[in-house]
Amino acid sequence: MSDSDTSQISRRDFMRLAGAAATTVAASAMTAVAAPEAKAAPAATAPNWESKFSVCDMCFNRCGLIARVEKGVITKLDPNPKFTKSRGMLCARGNAGVAQVYDPDRLKTPMLRVGKRGEGKWKSISWDEALELAASKMKDIAAKHTRCGMLFSAGADMQSGFVNRFAEVFGSFNVTSHESLCLLSGNRAFVDTFGDVPLPDVRNSKYVILAGANRLEALVTPDSMDLVTIMKEGAKVVVLDPRYTKSAALASEWHAIRPGTDMAFMLALAHVIITEKLYDAKYIDERVSGLDKLAAHVAELTPAWAEEQTGIPAADIARIARELAAAAPASMVYPGRRTSDYENSTQIRRSFAIVNALLGNYDRPGGLVPARPAGLKKVPAEPPWYDDNPPGRVDAGSVPLLFDEEGSFVLTRDAVIKGAPYPIKGWFVYKTNPMATAPERQKTREMIDKLDFMMVVDITMSDTAWMADLVLPAPSAMERTDPVQALQSGAEGACLVWRDAVIPPLYESRPVFDILKALAGKLGLGEFFDFDIPAYRLKQLAAFPEAAEILKRDGVFYPPNPPLGGTDGQPFKTPSQKIELYCSRYEGMGLDPLPVYAPPKASPDAARKFRLVAGRSACVTQGSSTNNPLLSEFEPENTLWLNDEAAKELGVKQGDVVLVESPVGKGELKALVTPKIRKDTVYMLSGFGSISGGLSHTKGVGASIVELMETRFDSICGNSAIHETFLSVKKKGAA
Amino acid sequence: MNQKLAMVIDSSKCIDCKGCMAACKQANGVSRGAWRNWIKEAVPPFVNGPGGSKKLGHGHFQPGACMHCDEPSCVQACPTGATYKNALDGTVVIDPKLCIGCGNCIKACPYGARFRDPQKRIADKCDYCPERRAAGLAPACVDTCPTKARVFGDINDPNSEAAKLLAANQGKVVRVVAKNRDTKPNMYYIASTAPDGWAVQPVDPLSFDFLAGVVAPVVKWAVGLSSLGVLAMLGRQLFAGAGPHDHGGKPADERPTGDKKEDGHA
Repeated sequence: MSDSDTSQISRRDFMRLAGAAATTVAASAMTAVAAPEAKAAPAATAPNWESKFSVCDMCFNRCGLIARVEKGVITKLDPNPKFTKSRGMLCARGNAGVAQVYDPDRLKTPMLRVGKRGEGKWKSISWDEALELAASKMKDIAAKHTRCGMLFSAGADMQSGFVNRFAEVFGSFNVTSHESLCLLSGNRAFVDTFGDVPLPDVRNSKYVILAGANRLEALVTPDSMDLVTIMKEGAKVVVLDPRYTKSAALASEWHAIRPGTDMAFMLALAHVIITEKLYDAKYIDERVSGLDKLAAHVAELTPAWAEEQTGIPAADIARIARELAAAAPASMVYPGRRTSDYENSTQIRRSFAIVNALLGNYDRPGGLVPARPAGLKKVPAEPPWYDDNPPGRVDAGSVPLLFDEEGSFVLTRDAVIKGAPYPIKGWFVYKTNPMATAPERQKTREMIDKLDFMMVVDITMSDTAWMADLVLPAPSAMERTDPVQALQSGAEGACLVWRDAVIPPLYESRPVFDILKALAGKLGLGEFFDFDIPAYRLKQLAAFPEAAEILKRDGVFYPPNPPLGGTDGQPFKTPSQKIELYCSRYEGMGLDPLPVYAPPKASPDAARKFRLVAGRSACVTQGSSTNNPLLSEFEPENTLWLNDEAAKELGVKQGDVVLVESPVGKGELKALVTPKIRKDTVYMLSGFGSISGGLSHTKGVGASIVELMETRFDSICGNSAIHETFLSVKKKGAA
Repeated sequence: MNQKLAMVIDSSKCIDCKGCMAACKQANGVSRGAWRNWIKEAVPPFVNGPGGSKKLGHGHFQPGACMHCDEPSCVQACPTGATYKNALDGTVVIDPKLCIGCGNCIKACPYGARFRDPQKRIADKCDYCPERRAAGLAPACVDTCPTKARVFGDINDPNSEAAKLLAANQGKVVRVVAKNRDTKPNMYYIASTAPDGWAVQPVDPLSFDFLAGVVAPVVKWAVGLSSLGVLAMLGRQLFAGAGPHDHGGKPADERPTGDKKEDGHA
């Protein structure tokens, strides 16, 4: 800081600034001491743009936005100030939505593979040919392997519901989404404790523990912004993370917890809260079951015990427990979103849910609140019955508590590879990219090699599209008319959004709805798609005759939002009708009814001493954004975060290229030598090291995290477990 | 009274999401590799961790851009008058028709706020989005900011949000300046998160240091043909840059003020 200084504003300066005695530039220019000349600049003219509402598509948050359109070209996306869920913001990714629309890498026409799978030889074909081919392949697969021989995978998108509808009427139970690579363990744990998945009301909270959630980088609206707001107002935010993330940097306190030990921390919090009777006894008596069993379970799980596991001092753990309880019910252990960490992630998140239950924060301001009724009507289809179908999903029964509507991608993949319990030979993929998001890319490749037909509908040639037989160009969100979607947040309740096209579809792109409708027609299922999206939306909005006009006027509609506390006196949707500290359902299934802590498994190989953890930058939504021309300026490649002391021992210097290796794969990337990560942990961004020749900015750039990750899954719900891989690291060229 | 457009930044609210940088780039068509604004990371301190270890302590992030100084060293450094102070709103403006791309202003800015646009080959920097303001919108970076860490407005108008924020933080507001050279920037930081480490010593084209730096190589290469261009440029700078400029300057609040009629208005 040699040349830098900060100058305090003097009181005199301050008065001047505040306008009490203004010094204008013009005035000072007239004085004896010559100041730079000032002159009047020519007045700027406002841009000649049209402003149109839409909804961002750069991540799952769906922030309301205003597109500025000049001569048919989108020049800027701005936040919609009426969309309060995002607190009137648009992040870097949202701003880069324009770059997505005009990305030179976009798919322009239907493409048919003509070379070997993954070789990258394509032929541009007409839509008629493409749809005829897709329909005939689906018919063939259904005839040969039953309708469940087709697998459907759709990412988070406002038209993804149509893919599920199509799968249902086509007759396949086999549907996966991105969710089983992300958030299902958390959902499982909260459903099995509270009977639903409550949402954090961060805005009104006085004390938040962020464990395994980097909310100031992995943005969730409005939670991310609200965390900053509440800290300014004096609330405390405690971050547990093996990395010094931006959340850690800005938090009230940060503890570099040993990865995989969060449950020990939570059980010790429960120990303190119970032994010191810091809970609301009346609340627990009325609404919670299993306190006695939990008390016995955590009797020996003291902060001193947890210190040995987590590396966090016992005194801090005890203090945090007391502070958390003192702020209750306006306090919480933040539930988090991506919970695909360990093979016992459901049980880890059960321990989060249990501490929340002890805080009595359910349906209380500043606690965990139930999703509010959005009032959106379903437009159901009565699917035909297909006699020859197998009894259920291909991954059914592989774990005790699969979410039937989501399944498990990694377990479905195993079943496809094995061809058992029955063969799956076709795959329809819409805007999700398992080749870049599912652990062990080689295995996804192996799965694809088992298929007779694979089609991908997407905006660009993703790594998954690169493997397909048929690739169909989708328009970007700004080119689409989309159904209504209900968005939820703890602090704001429900709101409804839709999309009207801001510009017409570019190139030959067609929305997935149009594709499905055409395929349905060719497959004799036209009656289930006998509507267009505007008509569908009116059905969805049947409860709110005024909503359509308001959506056109404001870009968002807020249904009536009942006040918190509405569930008081109501039974919880659990077997005991109470919040279950002790999970009676698990007891019946032979699972641990209380979360039993086991230290995280050590690396089985001394050479692989670094646990790989995943995470996010605010400029990255996995592989869907890393190739974006604007965002690639912020994150041009991924680096390996390597602790500075560990790097010294390995002889690795800042910026050196390192070779990383796991039992399933290898990679090469630059090292970021930093004190911001524990010595036993390494971290890299996902979405790099792509293989698709259609991705200018990421093909072969950095390392692919899914090339390195081993296939592990949550033993209760089948969610992927992506923190269970250990890497060896050495400097490139070293012996 | 004329406006004085300024930015008041509470950097404790900045989460370093880069929203402001992406918004600016998109709104202003800034070339790949160049930036009109930034977020810098303050070097976090080490504090005591468990068992006598050291760990990183509280950090913060520092949004910035051209500070539209009251005594801008870039204006003084500009040989053609392309860079000037807009008398109407206090912004420092670049007239692209007059800019010859000499780069003097880039070195003269202590804050690194200017760059030579790689495509247009002229100086560029933040202009507080005049077209957006004409449309009644905030500058792109301010509009898009998730936590509203950047607050923009006319601080001569006591009712503006920026002026109110300054008033509410009386005694806690700082400006970032280079040592020995206060250009009177119009970017104000709430002091608890005062930025550090960015300002560098400005290089003034008329200063002895600068001349020594340019003349020495000129002498060295005087025999070479390439020196002709350098000499021509230097001559042009000296001719155009000399004269009325005086880079001494008293602090702004010691100057007589010509406008007191707002006195007493809150």
